[in-house]
Amino acid sequence: MVFFFVRRLLAAVPTLLAVLTLVFVIVRIVPGDPALVILGDQATPEAAAALRERLGLDRPLWTQYVDFLTSALTGDFGTSMVTGRPILDEVAAVLPHTIDLTLASMVFGTVVGVPVGIWAALHRNRAIDVAARILSLLGLSFPVFVSGIFALLLFSLHWRIFPVIGAANLNDLGDRLHKLVLPTVTLGLIMAAYITRVTRSAMLASLSEDYIRTARAKGVPWRRVVWVHGLRNASIPIVTVVGLYVGILIGNSVLTEIVFNRPGLGKVIVGALNQRDYTMLQGLMVIYCFLIVVVNAVTDLLYGVLDPRVQAA
Amino acid sequence: MKKTLRAALLATAFAVAGTAAAQAQSGPTLRVGMAAQDVGRLDPHFAVSTIDRVVVAWMFNGLVRFKPGSIDPANIEPDLAERWESSPDGRTWTFHLRRGVQFHGGFGELTADDVVFSLQKAGTAATSAFAADFRAFQTVEAVDPYTVRIVLRENVPSLLGIVTNYSGGYIVSRRAAEQRGQDFVRAPIGTGPFALERVTPNQSAELTANAQYFRGAPQIGRISYRFIPSDASRDLAFQNRELDVNYGRADQTWINRTRQLPNTTVDVFEPGELAILNLNTVAPPFNDIRVRQALAHAINRAELVRFRGQDVTREAQSVVPRGYLGFAQQPLLPHDPNRARQLLAEAGHPNGLTVRVIHTQLPEMLNMMQVVQQQLRRAGITLDLQVVEHATFHQQIRQDLSPLVYYSAARFPVADIYLTQFFHGRSIVKTPTAVTNFSHCNQADAQIDAARVSTDLNEQRRLWAEAQKILTENICGVPLLETLLVFARRNNVEYGYDLQGSMSLGPLITEQTRLR
Repeated sequence: MVFFFVRRLLAAVPTLLAVLTLVFVIVRIVPGDPALVILGDQATPEAAAALRERLGLDRPLWTQYVDFLTSALTGDFGTSMVTGRPILDEVAAVLPHTIDLTLASMVFGTVVGVPVGIWAALHRNRAIDVAARILSLLGLSFPVFVSGIFALLLFSLHWRIFPVIGAANLNDLGDRLHKLVLPTVTLGLIMAAYITRVTRSAMLASLSEDYIRTARAKGVPWRRVVWVHGLRNASIPIVTVVGLYVGILIGNSVLTEIVFNRPGLGKVIVGALNQRDYTMLQGLMVIYCFLIVVVNAVTDLLYGVLDPRVQAA
Repeated sequence: MKKTLRAALLATAFAVAGTAAAQAQSGPTLRVGMAAQDVGRLDPHFAVSTIDRVVVAWMFNGLVRFKPGSIDPANIEPDLAERWESSPDGRTWTFHLRRGVQFHGGFGELTADDVVFSLQKAGTAATSAFAADFRAFQTVEAVDPYTVRIVLRENVPSLLGIVTNYSGGYIVSRRAAEQRGQDFVRAPIGTGPFALERVTPNQSAELTANAQYFRGAPQIGRISYRFIPSDASRDLAFQNRELDVNYGRADQTWINRTRQLPNTTVDVFEPGELAILNLNTVAPPFNDIRVRQALAHAINRAELVRFRGQDVTREAQSVVPRGYLGFAQQPLLPHDPNRARQLLAEAGHPNGLTVRVIHTQLPEMLNMMQVVQQQLRRAGITLDLQVVEHATFHQQIRQDLSPLVYYSAARFPVADIYLTQFFHGRSIVKTPTAVTNFSHCNQADAQIDAARVSTDLNEQRRLWAEAQKILTENICGVPLLETLLVFARRNNVEYGYDLQGSMSLGPLITEQTRLR
């Protein structure tokens, strides 16, 4: 198992290198001058040139690239061009918030999506199934900035249960959980909608297999047939979607972070892009990419657990 | 006996100071919501964005300051300098510092050395974004620990304006700046009523009252400066009483809606940002003055003001914002689409013309440009808008890639700054000394230069008025409207002054500010 995991991580090294190169190139071909962003609109060319020199942006691109790669491989991502703070410090300050939201949304989405999907599959084309499909479609159709604002209007302004400003004190577990509820539900509902649809399809396919018919013929209780025989075999596509979605959640939670005023990686990425903070963007992309690689590796690992044939292959 | 008395007095003084410190820091917290992802650089000499300018004004002082609530250069009053004098030729200025002013964080007493260091730092391109403002400075020297002398190479329109509590005029602690190096941008040390305690990235900047503030301990204990980029969420947080002060939108609907909230006051204040359509006068199609005149006739300022809101905007009257020292109202071409079409036909465009224009995707600027686009279309001028991200916009317009540039800005309220940056030949884009002259106009250089070095205010005003007349007649730019700043506050917030203007672009929180 460990060997399998390490092998998967090693296989990700070329991907990581390719991403690093791509990020380095992309942030530099995007128009927009970081010196101008930092110095403001009254900056003279002389001042901008002085700042570019100080930031090392006047050096040949290949020199910058080699420096960037060397630093990234040694775990040194440098300092933000805008704030001057170490990038790892900036990331460390927001990462717990991102992890909180990602994990909570994943758990919420899975806990809601899987049972509803199974339920819909078991009642195919009946009222429950139709309702589940319509609700999941609605969940997919409502962007966070709409559902989030609705949630704030109802639960914060009207009933005053949750605060509008969702930045929690990380040292206070109660505060952390309290401020996690609305963003989790808002973001998790979208994920639940996806999982409901995938679970329903996978369960329908699984329940029509011969081994299900055999199990029923042998007199295995229906509940066991569904949860053990059916769900186990339907779980590979579900795990795939959850794994993919976690990757999306890490980066795409930016709208949730903005609406609920939470700090997070997504918001930092958008800020760095707006300010043309090259070093910050590069560092964030490496960290983001690393997280995605780990999530994918864990997903692959779960494949092996759920279906031993995957490990054998 | 004498010793005992002195000891008793000292003990009493420390006790009073200690009590004041405790009271200041245990006072109420003012929660201010700002439309931003995060603060940038809090070294005041790099604070160029609105979010940074607002907060550094609470932490730093200048040698002199605008009277709180005012941006009138005539109302400049002592700040760190208790008095000053200048030589008859206006080139040598001597400032006498207050004694006993303490820097935050135990960085000691302010001396002339800190002032010399700060002004030299502010005047150096590597350590300041405002170095160009100090071009006329020849020397800055400490005469003694409490006296600073500034010698100018040439006269400037307002030396006090350069050393006021604005942009490069803020005074920092030399020891802190040297000790902290690059970290100073996020851990600055000033003398203001509030000291920076910490910045939590993407969340807030927390400030505590400076109990030793030389004007007295602030009545507010802390300021929590929250970064909330979403307008909707920030408004909800204000409505939910999670904020006491809220950055507002320069939009009539927003103002009307916010005014209806209970216990809420909306402050609309100066400086107004003047929006101008800058026309490249040396390249087709705007190198033909008839085309520029046609465009000017096509603009309907009254409609633009109605679109944005009567309370927050006003029609522009010159190429310099009104209220600035040296502003002179100009007879702008009236809205007349028929005359515009006629002029276009005379210029060889009987079927109208299409102009490719680079513009930002920033919503408030894009919305306004879309209204302008409609107005011009009625007169036969089609704007082919190339909408790009804001940083890209700033880069591309400085590369002279757009023959028409919509630009909205506020500057130090003296006509010279605006005229020099936007209409002086030295500031033409894509030149080594470029700033923001997108029109390539240089017809008023002589008047602008002469006004800058004149020591006679009446003569200065005459020259600035003449410069505005020349630029307006040449249609270097078409002034559109001026947009004021908007903040909302709960009625229990009393700033301690009448907020009519603020050069820091946000309400100044002083030692007098209180929460009732």
